[in-house]
Amino acid sequence: MLMPPFTLHHPSNVEQACEIAKQLIEDGQQFDWVAGGTDLIPNYKWHINTKPHVISLAKIEGTNVISATEIGCMARLSDLTIANGAHPLIAEAASKVASSLIRKNATMGGNLCLDTRCFWYNQGEDWRRSIDWCHKADCGSGADCRVIPNQNTLCVATYQGDLAPNLMVLEAVVHIVGPSGQRQVPIAEFYQLDGKKKNVLEAGEFLLKVTFPEQSQQRTGCYQKLRVRDTWDFPEAGVAASWIAGDEKSLLIASTALESIPKMHDEQVSEALTDGWNGADSVKSLSVAIQKSIKPVNNTTLTPRYRRKMVRVLAKRAIEGFLQ
Amino acid sequence: MSGGYKQQPGGGGNITRKDGKRVAGKQSFPPPGSGGSRPQMAERDLQFIPEMVGGREKQPAGAHVHDRIRTGTTVGKSMKLVDSNAKVTGQAWYGDDVRLPNECVAKILRSPHHYAKVISIDTSKVEALPGVLAVATGQDSTTSFGVLPVTKDEHAMAVDKVRHVGDLVACVAAVDEATALHALSLFEVEYEELEPVFDPKKGLEDADEPIHWRGKYHLAKTNVQKRVFQEFGDRSLIDKPSASNHNKWTMKGVHHGFTEPHAVVAHWDPNGRLQLYTPSQVPHYTHRALSTVLAVPMHQINVIRTFVGGGFGGKSDPFPHEMCAALLSRKCGRPVRITFDREEVYMINRGRHPSHIEVKMSADKEARITGFDIDALIDGGGFASFGHVTSYYNGVLATAPYELGSFHYTGARVWTNKPASGAMRGHGAVNTRCAVEVGLDQMAEDLSIDPIDLRLANLLPPHSRTISGFRITSNGMREALERVREGSDWDNKFRQLPLGKGIGIGCGFFISGSGLPIHWDPNKFPHATVHIQVDMDGGVTVHSGAADIGQGSTTAIAQVVAEVLALPIEMIHVRSHESDTSPVDLGSYSSRVTFMNANAAIRAAIEIRDKLLNAAWEMIGYHPDLLVLNDRRIYYKHDPSIGVSYLKALHKAQEDKGALISSGAYRSPPMGGIHKGAAAGLAPAYSFSAYVAETDVDIETGKIKCTNVWAAHDCGRALNPLAVKGQIIGSCHMGLGQVISEEMVYGRTGHLQNANLLEYKIPSVHEMPNVVPIIVESCDPEGPFGAKEAGEGPLLPILPAVVNSVYDAIGIRINDLPLTPDTVYFAIEKKMKAQSVDDPLELESPRLIHSAMQQVVVERAAQHKVRDVARQRSDDTSAYVNGVLFGFDPNIPLEDQVEGWRSATEPLPDQLAELGFAGKAWLKKEQRELEGDN
Repeated sequence: MLMPPFTLHHPSNVEQACEIAKQLIEDGQQFDWVAGGTDLIPNYKWHINTKPHVISLAKIEGTNVISATEIGCMARLSDLTIANGAHPLIAEAASKVASSLIRKNATMGGNLCLDTRCFWYNQGEDWRRSIDWCHKADCGSGADCRVIPNQNTLCVATYQGDLAPNLMVLEAVVHIVGPSGQRQVPIAEFYQLDGKKKNVLEAGEFLLKVTFPEQSQQRTGCYQKLRVRDTWDFPEAGVAASWIAGDEKSLLIASTALESIPKMHDEQVSEALTDGWNGADSVKSLSVAIQKSIKPVNNTTLTPRYRRKMVRVLAKRAIEGFLQ
Repeated sequence: MSGGYKQQPGGGGNITRKDGKRVAGKQSFPPPGSGGSRPQMAERDLQFIPEMVGGREKQPAGAHVHDRIRTGTTVGKSMKLVDSNAKVTGQAWYGDDVRLPNECVAKILRSPHHYAKVISIDTSKVEALPGVLAVATGQDSTTSFGVLPVTKDEHAMAVDKVRHVGDLVACVAAVDEATALHALSLFEVEYEELEPVFDPKKGLEDADEPIHWRGKYHLAKTNVQKRVFQEFGDRSLIDKPSASNHNKWTMKGVHHGFTEPHAVVAHWDPNGRLQLYTPSQVPHYTHRALSTVLAVPMHQINVIRTFVGGGFGGKSDPFPHEMCAALLSRKCGRPVRITFDREEVYMINRGRHPSHIEVKMSADKEARITGFDIDALIDGGGFASFGHVTSYYNGVLATAPYELGSFHYTGARVWTNKPASGAMRGHGAVNTRCAVEVGLDQMAEDLSIDPIDLRLANLLPPHSRTISGFRITSNGMREALERVREGSDWDNKFRQLPLGKGIGIGCGFFISGSGLPIHWDPNKFPHATVHIQVDMDGGVTVHSGAADIGQGSTTAIAQVVAEVLALPIEMIHVRSHESDTSPVDLGSYSSRVTFMNANAAIRAAIEIRDKLLNAAWEMIGYHPDLLVLNDRRIYYKHDPSIGVSYLKALHKAQEDKGALISSGAYRSPPMGGIHKGAAAGLAPAYSFSAYVAETDVDIETGKIKCTNVWAAHDCGRALNPLAVKGQIIGSCHMGLGQVISEEMVYGRTGHLQNANLLEYKIPSVHEMPNVVPIIVESCDPEGPFGAKEAGEGPLLPILPAVVNSVYDAIGIRINDLPLTPDTVYFAIEKKMKAQSVDDPLELESPRLIHSAMQQVVVERAAQHKVRDVARQRSDDTSAYVNGVLFGFDPNIPLEDQVEGWRSATEPLPDQLAELGFAGKAWLKKEQRELEGDN
């Protein structure tokens, strides 16, 4: 498999990175950001939406910080899995990503900005040509979505990152930087439909770091991941939950790998808590409500019907994970 | 002559490095046995010399014809593979490691359509591209080829039609990969699309345009490539059964998943001979196919087998890309290399057939198995490959290890517009075996008896004949069952574990070398030939065509030669890479290599041994019968100080003729029945295995985790126990993949959806159970030192053992493989609905209370055990054929003593209406019959 040619840029600070991005935009050149490369490079080798320029964040100083309140975009997942100040929930979730080898390269930023996935899309070029392409990588053909045919306006590829729901239940804030300056958004608002748009990053912007509010340290949580094999595999469904011990009202639940973006389940939580916390019954009604709120489609390994059913089990186990 | 004879290998072995590593070029040989009065040889290792010839090695299965040539050197000793240093240091040269000067790179243009006529190919733009060196299309060689002479249906590239997405259309060689890839986009191909067939059931129907056309032998206008009917035994026995079951299975196609993708380098040397480097399991088949396709005599082609990075059956066809490389290289005059992407590996496939299998079975009031009815419809994909054989194996390899009242099999293999299925570890036997073993479990359940006891009471004994006429020699099935029962603590676990935890049994039976050499009459040319050459330095060069694909065949051959000549294994050099220097060998398939090549090697080594002993006789005056070979020394058996070194004896033997040369061959004895297809499944020996698997089922998610496996395999004699254990554990892993997660997923458009190693889910180390390998040694009378195969048979039992353990855990039988979490979960949900249970944790797991029949089977098993021991040790040499259990006389043909005893290969007209899916192929007529009708 031959890597398509591209020019690799290696800025050593944020300003340089923004400058390169700005220049490329002005020149009308397309580009991608790369952190660890474990998501982008396989896609490039498959000739999926390749760009002539790639800007690497690897040499930007200070982006691999890991502390209780801040994690830089270049923090490696393998570093997050060991005790080094990051919240235990993040360590747990990071340890469930892919395999130990991949975690040596993969980064926090890369995992959060993971491209959405779909078995009509994550294929070699010949294969995709053979199905006349798809909406997400239409190669100029204006191709239809292959998952839900007869609509070529929406991409339903699935977001299969593990860290996002965990950051959501820890109320992380995403710091974005670009040629027009810095901005911050709560992670719950970072993701944006559809499967092509994925998140709020605008052209030239990249995710610099995430920070955590002080009270996130008081939270205990649990992450449940459904996959066929206990390594390598992306989540087929994932549910993260956390709370501040003893305070039901602080309960936060988020899910991933079920739709094109990860999702907070505040609505279902507050509904289930309307009449106060009622132990196992609340857990049950809450997990059923979460199951009902998601609509997976048929584009990952396991069937959407099954993944939907499993959300209930995962939610139950995630909550029970810290209740016990 | 003090200090040893000069030409002994090594240099004293006393040069060491401080870091403990070996000094390059200095093998750590022990001081050589110098002969004369200084016998510094190692002592004879009596632990590894059979007791029948004065050693201390126990022989519970009796004496063996090779006992007298045992020297205690290597046989039965665990040793690393002789090529392992090259592999672990990264120096082994696999297909893509070959680099020749001036080499160029070729890429293949593949079909984007499932099924289409190729109307035209315009290559002008490709040829005009700078850097392109040669272009070839199907028109460059229209000669067909195939692994089996009876079904040559492949071409180098599409001649008239493409038959699946990824089928080869054209190829181009260029100065580098980027140019070759660019060139692919410049081909202009006009196709006329045809209606594809994906469902094998549809393949049984007449089509407008069958995928292949077999002329007068074509079955109507269907896509049936091969149909089989076999019926043996007394069909009336299945009336009034005390228990019976009927299950319909769907098994998905699986791929070998070998590490090394296909790669080839072709080069026409300055003399105009083709040198082809390929990681092939069957270099000889490739050799033949190249000769046909290129229209070049075989002696003008040298096939060089590189190291093979895993084969498992997936590299045992001659492949079109090998033809492409040769064609392009001939055109451009430069070496041409083709290396596949993983996606291309799946496009050429040859994995296990997706199958629809139906099994009916019944038992009588004594729990004897009165009938197996098997129907196997297998999906062959676009080409025949090994499918002709697979069609038979799906049935006939279920005729043992059990004694059957009757056996009925209908099989059909159909072409569909998918990548071709072919041979994969456990060829053809795996899916049916799973269905049969699960059926037996269910039958034991219905009879309220223990499934192990049911099996023990129905086994064919050693030295018997199956219902279809296979000759069973050694048979360690009973011991395998007994040892896994004990090892797993079966009697305290079966049907007694809590919900979600289960234990299950499965057995296996497999050929140890196909009895038919396919390309020639076994009576006219041997299966395998091995040459040995010993020159002045004393090193032994062994020439064999056996393809080591990681299974250790080179090591096995080196071991047996070392054993016979009593030499350290480092002195044996096996040369097996080139067809120029290797005798013809059929290759690594059907688990034939150790059995056939090691036998041939033993014969060749005996010839050398005789020459050495005769030379020693001349030198020290004792007859060879009184001489002992041991560690580079030959001496008088009653006084070891009277002897001569190996090298002195060798030089004496070489006095008149120079290097010693010998040749040994293996031919299987005449065997088998005379009915149509009798040769399919026929083998000089068979392996047997029994596994117990323990599995945890997550009842809420349906995810299963196999935790422990006790794996007993009868390999006759473990020449290298370490290698046998490796094969058992590796087989467990591969079989487990098929049962828990691996499948080739074809989506609604007919495309293979998971042609990559992320989505094609081979189990990881996390999914691997703790495997306890148990080696059973039944000492086969015809095997080399008693050995039989260990490479494929051990895969079979893991599937049913896991499926049965899932039943024990949650009381659910699932007849779809793989048992992915969703499959299991929905089966659980269905059971919950049926039992009106809300929470799966409230389900009940099955329990067993023995019926009166338990005593019947236990008693019969005890009697049979006595029978089997006597037959294994040749204390009882009376005839035994399948049917004795039902009271028939083995000395009179069964047809003569049982009214209605059938031995048929075509259905009776009144049977046609009742045949299963595959059997429906018998409703159609061949073209030649249809012509006759007109």
